[in-house]
Amino acid sequence: MTQRIAHVDDDVDIRDAVKCILSTNGYEVDSYLTMEDFINSFEDESRFPDLAILDVMVESMDAGLTTYAQIHKRFPSLQIIFLTSLGDMIRPYFENESNEWVCIIEKPVEPASLLSIIHDRLETPQSSTSTS
Amino acid sequence: MESTKFSWNKKIEQCVIPNEKGELKLNDEILVSNIRWFIVFRWAVIAALVIFQILTVFASDVLTQLGIIEQRNWPIILILVLSIANVSYIYRLDYCPPSKFNAPSINLWIQIIIDLICLSIVVHYIGSTATPAPFFYVLHITLACVFFSTRESLVVTIMVCIMYTILLLIENSLFSQAQQSVSTNSQLSEESINMRKILWVSVLDFLFLVVWYAISRLSIVVRTHQRQLIEAYKQINQVQTEKDQYALLMTHQLKSPLDAIRSKINLITAGYCGEASDETKNVLAKIDRRAKSMSALILDLLRLQRLKETCLDTAIFKAVDLETTINKCIDKLTPVINSKKITANLSLDNFIFRGIPDQLEILLENIISNAITYSHKNTSIDIRSTIDKPNNSANISITDHGIGIEKKELPNIFNEYFYSPRASLHNSSSSGIGLSIVKTAAENNKLQINVDSEPGLGTTFTVIFKNIQLPDEKM
Repeated sequence: MTQRIAHVDDDVDIRDAVKCILSTNGYEVDSYLTMEDFINSFEDESRFPDLAILDVMVESMDAGLTTYAQIHKRFPSLQIIFLTSLGDMIRPYFENESNEWVCIIEKPVEPASLLSIIHDRLETPQSSTSTS
Repeated sequence: MESTKFSWNKKIEQCVIPNEKGELKLNDEILVSNIRWFIVFRWAVIAALVIFQILTVFASDVLTQLGIIEQRNWPIILILVLSIANVSYIYRLDYCPPSKFNAPSINLWIQIIIDLICLSIVVHYIGSTATPAPFFYVLHITLACVFFSTRESLVVTIMVCIMYTILLLIENSLFSQAQQSVSTNSQLSEESINMRKILWVSVLDFLFLVVWYAISRLSIVVRTHQRQLIEAYKQINQVQTEKDQYALLMTHQLKSPLDAIRSKINLITAGYCGEASDETKNVLAKIDRRAKSMSALILDLLRLQRLKETCLDTAIFKAVDLETTINKCIDKLTPVINSKKITANLSLDNFIFRGIPDQLEILLENIISNAITYSHKNTSIDIRSTIDKPNNSANISITDHGIGIEKKELPNIFNEYFYSPRASLHNSSSSGIGLSIVKTAAENNKLQINVDSEPGLGTTFTVIFKNIQLPDEKM
């Protein structure tokens, strides 16, 4: 079964790049412009993703982080990756315990490393995944 | 080989102003430090009483001439009382857990009450109207005004007035009884003594109240300024947070377009947009290199700004396992290490250092990253740690076999935006502030860095950690 990946980013070029890479490699990709669109998508169970890639600064400074907190509470098993221009600079905003396993990728999108991280995350249960 | 030592002593700025609680008064931390000072001061008073006791034995005539009533036992009793009290204050402060009944303010109140009783005894025996001893009450009123709220210091002042009045009343009744038993025809003398005592009580009680009023007014002014400082400090913190958010936003806005450009370049070079010619790939690589350089500069600027704004009073210092930190840095840098076909030789004796964890990681990552950047392809870098147990210190040295640093450039390498043409030729994407970041992180963590370099042969950065602990020791 094709694995579904949700991607939220307000930059159309990044959305296109991620969609192009993932679609070419056999993933089903749902791109969202806003976090709200992404959260609303949960109403349709058939579109529930196996993994979500979130930008951090979408609409507001910390929309990605608050959405992460919200989703993680509702669906603790959903794998989430942050794809952000700020890279590790956002790490101080995480609580100590989540800091250990939260995955942060710094933009730009590099096809090989993005695919490798996604593959790794989808293959490994969340509790045993490590930082990227 | 040229060698230079770098150490920076960052002045610890008093960023935290004590919090206020309810009324305008000092916080517990300041009270405790002053309690300790009082305890030391009280030991000095005890020493003075010991000397006084010796004088009563060897120079009693002189004391009598000075109007001091000779009584050999009271100094010994006071010495004992004050010593026991002092020891119990220390015990309550250092060995009893803080509680509702063991707060610094309660400790201070007990001290004031016992000290006032002891002072009244001293005033009685030294001379309540014949010597300046009663003026020592002023010292207690002053201290109460400084350490307590206005209302509490007024209570202390009233206590002083009552104690002094009672003391003179008791003395007066004792004196009257003595006069009656010795002589019955000294009415005039008794009246004059009574008048003198009433005058002393009135004048001194008035003086105590005036002193309380004056000092408590001054104290209110000082504390109002302190409150204003607290407000100002809160505002500075608020502005600081807003400034950091603004810097974060600007960094994001500046870097985002570059990231989009570089993502598209990556798509083309990875073949997602069809086959590109070598010439196209070559041009794209050049565009990517320049964009990468600018991205690195933007992120480094934010990093440097955050490091510079570290407040050492509020920064969280933790026990950091240096072996884990180095391995983390190596993990992060593995793609670069592999791309340059560099071998990283690690020889680590693990140790623990109390520092700011993310800053130590930034410091080591930058030095290791530099070693990789300025190494030639197919060479190696050596990361070695050595522990100096007798001096309780350790070194981490990172050695590359790269281009090295010229002797004249060595003293300036930690300066912001220092530009070395040789280094730029080797690494055109340098932001120029990587070592400034290292310097600021070293400054914040009180680390010393030695740099040894030989142009053409390589460079060794040695980070010196003091006051380390070994992993099996608790920190």
